[in-house]
Amino acid sequence: MSSNSTIIGAVEIGTSKITVLVAEYHSGRELAIIGCGECPSRGVTKGTISDFRAASDCTQFAIQQAEKDANERIESVFLAQTGGHLEGFSNEASVNVKAADNMIDRDDIKTVCELAKSKELPAGRMVVHHIRRPYRVDGRLVPDQPENLVGQRLEVGYWTVHGQEQRLADTIHVIRGCNLEVGELVLSSLASGHMVTTAEERQHGVLVIDIGAGTTDFVLYRDGGPHMTGVLPVGGSHLTNDLSIGLRLTENQAEKLKLRFGRALVLAKDRTDKVWLDGNYAIGDRQFPRQAIEQVTAARTWELLEAVKKKLGHAFSPETCAAGVVLTGGTAKLPAIAECAGKVFGTPVHLGEPPSWVEERLRDPGYQTALGLLYYVISSRTGSAGAARKRGGFLRGISRLFVPS
Amino acid sequence: MNLDELPLDQRIMADRNIAIKLIGVGGAGSNAVDCLKMENLDRLQLAVVNTDHQALSSSPVQDKVLIGMSVTRGLSAGGDPELGREAAEADREKLAQLMKGCDLVFLLAGMGGGTGSGATPVVAEVAAEEGALVIAFVTMPFTCEGERRRKQAEEALRALRQVCDAVIPLSNDMLLQETGENEPLLDSFARAYDWVGRGVKSIWSMLFRTGLINLDFATLRQAFQHRGGKTLFSLGEGRGENAVAEAIQSLQLCPLLHTPEFSRKADRLLVNIVGGTDLTLDKVNLIMTSVAEQFGRESHIVMGAVVDEQLQNRVEICVIGTSDMGGRSIAPRRVVRPRAQVPASEPAAEPAAVSRSDAAGEPVQAAAAGPTRQAAAAAAAAAAAKAQQEEFGFGEVESRGSFEKTDRNLFDGQDLDVPTYLRKGIKIAI
Repeated sequence: MSSNSTIIGAVEIGTSKITVLVAEYHSGRELAIIGCGECPSRGVTKGTISDFRAASDCTQFAIQQAEKDANERIESVFLAQTGGHLEGFSNEASVNVKAADNMIDRDDIKTVCELAKSKELPAGRMVVHHIRRPYRVDGRLVPDQPENLVGQRLEVGYWTVHGQEQRLADTIHVIRGCNLEVGELVLSSLASGHMVTTAEERQHGVLVIDIGAGTTDFVLYRDGGPHMTGVLPVGGSHLTNDLSIGLRLTENQAEKLKLRFGRALVLAKDRTDKVWLDGNYAIGDRQFPRQAIEQVTAARTWELLEAVKKKLGHAFSPETCAAGVVLTGGTAKLPAIAECAGKVFGTPVHLGEPPSWVEERLRDPGYQTALGLLYYVISSRTGSAGAARKRGGFLRGISRLFVPS
Repeated sequence: MNLDELPLDQRIMADRNIAIKLIGVGGAGSNAVDCLKMENLDRLQLAVVNTDHQALSSSPVQDKVLIGMSVTRGLSAGGDPELGREAAEADREKLAQLMKGCDLVFLLAGMGGGTGSGATPVVAEVAAEEGALVIAFVTMPFTCEGERRRKQAEEALRALRQVCDAVIPLSNDMLLQETGENEPLLDSFARAYDWVGRGVKSIWSMLFRTGLINLDFATLRQAFQHRGGKTLFSLGEGRGENAVAEAIQSLQLCPLLHTPEFSRKADRLLVNIVGGTDLTLDKVNLIMTSVAEQFGRESHIVMGAVVDEQLQNRVEICVIGTSDMGGRSIAPRRVVRPRAQVPASEPAAEPAAVSRSDAAGEPVQAAAAGPTRQAAAAAAAAAAAKAQQEEFGFGEVESRGSFEKTDRNLFDGQDLDVPTYLRKGIKIAI
């Protein structure tokens, strides 16, 4: 290991599995994935930790596995954040340019940003991300820094993502329990969104929906940067739960049926077409109509996508989202889900493809968040990330949570 | 008259029967009772309580109570639970009179309307004050009946759980899953009454048909003694050659068993099996094994078996399960009032008037009573059960499955953890 490189761990504590990727980061903006660890998670429901001990054990196992695989010790952890407690709002501010010659200087920019970020949060909530939308000078969009531009009025909007302090602390505690430091918290949707879209798509406007097991994270990109994000605490585990209630099965049996026969749109027309639960001719094997399985999964998928659309509200329209919708996450493997999303959103939909440099075993949609975390590291450290924000911002927040104990 | 006074009066011993009343409250409840009337279950007294004079007068049931004459002037509550509640409150005396001396009161009601939602909790409260074990079978409205009715129904259910020993909700949406494609609405509602009726009937037959292995009122009380947890209730029926297998299968599909398979474990199980003379020990054994398999092998299982000549080649199974959910229990709330003296002309309805402390101190004496042991035990169990009265935490009305213990997932006024197909009334062909 050369002296100017750090070993970074990307940790995603998901509802179905915990993924840890280890990467070596050279300050010369080069990043190599050198290890990977995974563990089916326990004690996590709908994206939030419900059983600290179980979640902690699983995470520890995954981290150890990854470190063994990489043969290196992780120095700093990038942690993905999801869960129904995360919420966002947009806040805008504008200032009149001070200088007599109407040239925007650094102070103007600082003032307008402070103003836009100054909205107070309810007690017990904490900011995870301040995502800046592009600046506007006299209503004209400025893709970069507006310093030294000439105009009367400088405007900026922020999309502020905030979450419950205790829930955020829970995940950080899990990592700290493994004797590791959390370098940064990154919203899951931002991580996976960066991974499966190109800069060009983000410029044109694209909606990324990451449907995991417990949560659905989405991010709407516009003008090259994230415009709006959101989390719905509904995911693949709800499909399983619906099946287990509808067909009266155990969770494991329902999961098996979902993976084998679930569909986002009903295809089976024949009510008598039945499928076997195990298909191994063992005693206790039962038959279920294919149609019933598809009806249950299709109803849930449709509703989930509708709910995402509803949450986006006016921010989404097929016109402002020219590059369409990209689906990723484990549940994106459900057959016909792209077709279903196409009907809901009225735009072209495709499944997220990671960049070509990603190796074969990590190309599964379920790994995009962890990969995105690493990608986010480079982008944010080299300053080219769409979500430009100061690194100190969040760390200050963390230290607030962990006053020396 | 007190059972603690020994020796016991001969007359009490002879007539120590259990008084059971089945009371339908509101329109849906009355209809259900009317349906059951045809069944002719002896020793089951039927009654209807309603605010609507017109509906009441057309009911074939003997015992009718019009409530809220002063509030609604004999008209119905018009879908307003508040009005239904007021009506019942206004006629508490009448209700108390109706349930005097009952040991077990079944309440049938449809939630969501005015009288059913509003008056039922009051009726249950009065019944409990009269010292009866209260089991309520209630139907929950179809989702298509609208948000308002659903809200009213849920509120009523919550209120009901506070005052009843057991509340067994039957979701009409579940029934939708069973209906045929072209079934008229009337038949669908009739199906709901039918299930409620079967539920009542199975408990009735458990109590009154003397079995080879008998289950009695004391056992039932005992089952409802440690509460604060959830209750399971399921019925199964099978006929013909594979009666046993069929019954076990239908046990799983009973709509009264409103929980997914993985949460169907109970600490205490009451299993009653009714069959014809062809019921063999082998069959009983088979049923018990598979029931134990399904509802919890480690549970404390109480079994009953009844032979009924009319049920040749048929098997009926009734499973009642209760379990504690540690920490969720609610402190005793209801005050136990020693039962008022019942006039001697109603000896059948004279139950035990044992106060709680007496019950604890008296088991030895009760045992000494010889032939009356059972009655005394019933009384003691009853008193103990009374003292611990509390709410049944059923989980929610809607099935949330594995998300049952997590926060509600509200979006647009709906709980997203409840299966979409149930909320939208999509019929699944099983």
